[in-house]
Amino acid sequence: MLIKLTGGKVIDPAHNVDGVARDIYIRDGRIVDAPEPGAKVDQEYDLRGKLVMAGAIDLHTHIGGGKVNIARAMLPEDHRPDLCAATDLERSGCGHAAPSTFTTGYRYAEMGYTAGFEPAMMPVNARQAHMEMGDTPIIDKGAYAMLGSDDLLLSLMKDGVDQRVINDYVAWTITHSQAMGLKVVNPGGISAFKFNQRKLDLDEQAPFYGVTPRQILKTLAQALHDLGVPHPLHVHGCNLGVPGNVQTTLDSFAALDGLPAHFTHIQFHSYGTEGDRKFSSGAAHIAEMVNKHKNISVDVGQILFGQTVTASGDNMSQHRNAAHADPSKSVIMDIECDAGCGVVPFRYRDTNFVNALQWCIGLETFLLVDDPWRVFLTTDHPNGAPFTSYPHLIRLLMDKSFRNEQLARINTDAAGLSTLGSLDREYSLYEIAIMTRAAPAKTLGLRDRGHLGVGAAADITVYTEDADREKMFAKPNYVFKDGTLVARDGRIVQVVWGNTHVVKPEYDPGIEKVIEPHFRRFRTQRMGNFKISNDEMCECGHGSKLHVHDCTHGRKQ
Amino acid sequence: MSALTFTARGMPAADIDCGGLTCDSLAGKSAAEVAKLPILVGGRQTPCGDVFDVSGSDTMQIVFRGNGATCNRIGAGMTIGSIRVEGDAGDHLGLQMKGGKITVTGNAGDFAACEMKRGRIVVQGNVGDSAGAPLPGNKKGMSGGMLVVHGNAGERLADQLRRGQILVAGNAGAYAASRMIAGTLVVLGTVGAHCGHAMRRGSLIVRQRPPLPATFADCGTHTLAFLPLLMASWKEAGAPFATLPVNPRAQRWMGDTGNGGKAEVLVWA
Repeated sequence: MLIKLTGGKVIDPAHNVDGVARDIYIRDGRIVDAPEPGAKVDQEYDLRGKLVMAGAIDLHTHIGGGKVNIARAMLPEDHRPDLCAATDLERSGCGHAAPSTFTTGYRYAEMGYTAGFEPAMMPVNARQAHMEMGDTPIIDKGAYAMLGSDDLLLSLMKDGVDQRVINDYVAWTITHSQAMGLKVVNPGGISAFKFNQRKLDLDEQAPFYGVTPRQILKTLAQALHDLGVPHPLHVHGCNLGVPGNVQTTLDSFAALDGLPAHFTHIQFHSYGTEGDRKFSSGAAHIAEMVNKHKNISVDVGQILFGQTVTASGDNMSQHRNAAHADPSKSVIMDIECDAGCGVVPFRYRDTNFVNALQWCIGLETFLLVDDPWRVFLTTDHPNGAPFTSYPHLIRLLMDKSFRNEQLARINTDAAGLSTLGSLDREYSLYEIAIMTRAAPAKTLGLRDRGHLGVGAAADITVYTEDADREKMFAKPNYVFKDGTLVARDGRIVQVVWGNTHVVKPEYDPGIEKVIEPHFRRFRTQRMGNFKISNDEMCECGHGSKLHVHDCTHGRKQ
Repeated sequence: MSALTFTARGMPAADIDCGGLTCDSLAGKSAAEVAKLPILVGGRQTPCGDVFDVSGSDTMQIVFRGNGATCNRIGAGMTIGSIRVEGDAGDHLGLQMKGGKITVTGNAGDFAACEMKRGRIVVQGNVGDSAGAPLPGNKKGMSGGMLVVHGNAGERLADQLRRGQILVAGNAGAYAASRMIAGTLVVLGTVGAHCGHAMRRGSLIVRQRPPLPATFADCGTHTLAFLPLLMASWKEAGAPFATLPVNPRAQRWMGDTGNGGKAEVLVWA
C-alpha cells in the first residue's frame, strides 16, 4: 500500500531540513522515494500547513521491570482517580505516575512518541521487564542492562582481570538479557549498601571488593567503547540528590578520560552547597563542562510539580529519600547478587525551596547546554514527573514569557537564587526535534528511526502549529507507527505492536566458564535459564519484531 | 416540595454506582433531568432512569427506596443535604463524605463511612467490614464526623481511624480499632479477637473487657473527667447512646506497646 503525506512542512534535523514543505511517501512501513508519475496512491493525507516530524523517542523512561510493578502495587491512590475504560480498541487501564503497560503505550502514542527505552533493567529481572514492555502497545521498546554493583563484575575487578574479560562479561550480559545498552547506577554504591554503607564517594573503596566507583565507571565505559555498542555507558552517578554532588559529577566526567558516556537525569546530580540553606544550583558548572567535552551527553530528568513516584535501582539514595515519601510509604530492597531497588512516592511542591530549586536547575541545564544533540528531553519518568507532562516541559523551553510566569509562582527564595529568569534562550521547533528525535536515535544507533529520509521507518508525527506549544505537542493530528496511522487528534485509532531494539556485541564464549559457576554457586537461577532467547522475546511481545543493531560504532580494529 | 426519590425498578442484577446522586451534584435538576443522567451500572454507563424510578423535586433531601443492597457509594463526597435510604445500602456508603447526613433504615455493606471527613451517618441495621477504614492501600481512615450503627459491625471496624467518632450499639467483629491512628470507637456489645492490633493512639470504649492482645498493659481504674463530656456529645445520636448511665470511672489499658503504646482501651460499666 502506498501512502502519501502531502505538502507538510518537514522538520528533519538528521538531514538538516527545517520547515521545508514536501511530500512523503510510505510503502510497507518505510519511507520511500517518490514513485513514478501515475503510480496509484492508496491513501493520501493533506498536510499542507502542518508540521511533520519523525516520531519522538524517549531514551530514558521507566516503563518496565520490577520497580515499576512495585510502584503500581504500592499506589492504588495513583490509580483510582485516573481510570481509563476499555474501548473497542483499547484495553482498560489506570494510573497517572505509574500507569499500566497498556495505558503507557496508548498515552505515549497519543503524544506522538513512537519509542521508549527502559533505562534500568536488572539482568536478573530482565525477563519480567521484557514481558511488561511486551505488553506495552504501539511504541518501540528497548532496555539498558544494569551492571556496576553486581557481585560478578566487582569480583572480577577485585581479581584484577584483563579488560577483555570484562568486555566479554558485559557483552554476554547485554546479549542474553536482550538489552540495547548498559547502565551503571551508583557504581559500587548499591553493593556497598548491602554492607550497611550509606554513602560511597567517587574515590572511596567499596567495602569487601575494594574497587572505587571511578574504576567501575572507567572500566564499563571502556568495555562499551571496545565492544562498539552505539549508545555509550548510561551513567547514573554517585551521590544522587546530595547537596554538593555537582563536584562528584564533574569529577565523574573527568574520570572517563575522554571515553564517551551519557549522564542521565543530570538535574539530580547538579547540586551545590552555596547559600544560607547550603543548597544551590550547579547547572552552570555542569553545562560548561558538557559544552566543553564532546564525549559527554546528558538527559535532564526535569522535575515538574505534582504527585509522582520515584523508582530507581539506587537503593542507597532511595533509602535516604524515604523519609520524605508522600504518601508515607516506600519499598527499599536488595536484589540478589545484582543490584537493588527503591520505590518512594513523592510530591514535588512549588512552595518548597528544594523542589522549586530543582525545577530551576533542570531548566537552567536545558538552557545552558548549547548543543541540543547532547541534551535530551526527559523527566526520568516517573521520577521527576510522569511522561505525560512532556508537552508542558516543551512549552517551558520554547516560551520564555510562560517560563517566567511559572518562575514567579514558585518559592521566592529558590527563584531568587536561580539564574533562570535571566536566561533568554527559547528552544526552536528544530531544536526540539533534535532533542526528542534525531539525537536520541543517533546516540542509540537507531539508524532507521528519528529521521524522515528514504529508507527510514515510517514513525511520523504531524502537528498543527500553535503558539501554545503545550497544546500543540499534547495532541498531534496524526501519529504513524511503521506506516500505520495509530493516533488521530490525540486519540488512538489503531493498535499495533512496536518493535524491540537490541544489540548483540560479540564476545568469547569462553566467558561462560567464568559466569556459569557464579550462577551455580550464588544465584537462585541457573545460567541456562537466565538467557532470554529471541523467540521468547517475540512471543512475549505479541509477535513484535526484534531489531538487532550493529555494534561497529567507533570500534577498535 | 417532596424529597427527590429513587425507587429501584425491580432487582438490579449489577452493582449500581450511586456516587453521582448526591445533593451537591443534583442541585437545580428536575426529576426528568436526573433520570437522564448516566450512571455506572455493572461498569457500563446507563441512564439513571433505567434502574430507578425518579420522582420528587427537593434535591436537598434524597431518598433511595427499594432494594439498595447493590447501590454502592451512596452519598460519596457529599457536602450538604440529607440522604435517606429506606432499606439496605451497598458498599462505600458515605465514601469521603464531607458534610450532611445519611440515614439507612436497613443494613449497609462494607467500607461504610470510608475516609469520611465530616457529617453524620446513621445505620439502623448492621454495617459490613471495614467501617470507617481507608480505601485499600490508603493510609488514613475516617478523619471526622460521626458514624452511628444500631446493629452490629463487621471486621476491621475503625481500621486506621484518624479522627471522629464511631458508635456501635451491637457487637464488633475481629480486629476492631486495628491500626487506629486517633479518634474514638465505642462498642456497647462485645468486641471480637485481636482488637486494638497495632493501635497507635485514640480510644476504644467498651462496657466489658475485650480479649486484648498481650501488648496492652492494665493501667488501673481512673476517674476520667472527659467521659461525661464525651457522653454528652452522644445526645444527638439518640438511644441507646443518649440514655447510658453517666459514669466517669473506667478501667484503662494502654497499648499497643508494639506500636508506641499511646492508645487506650477504656472499660466502663
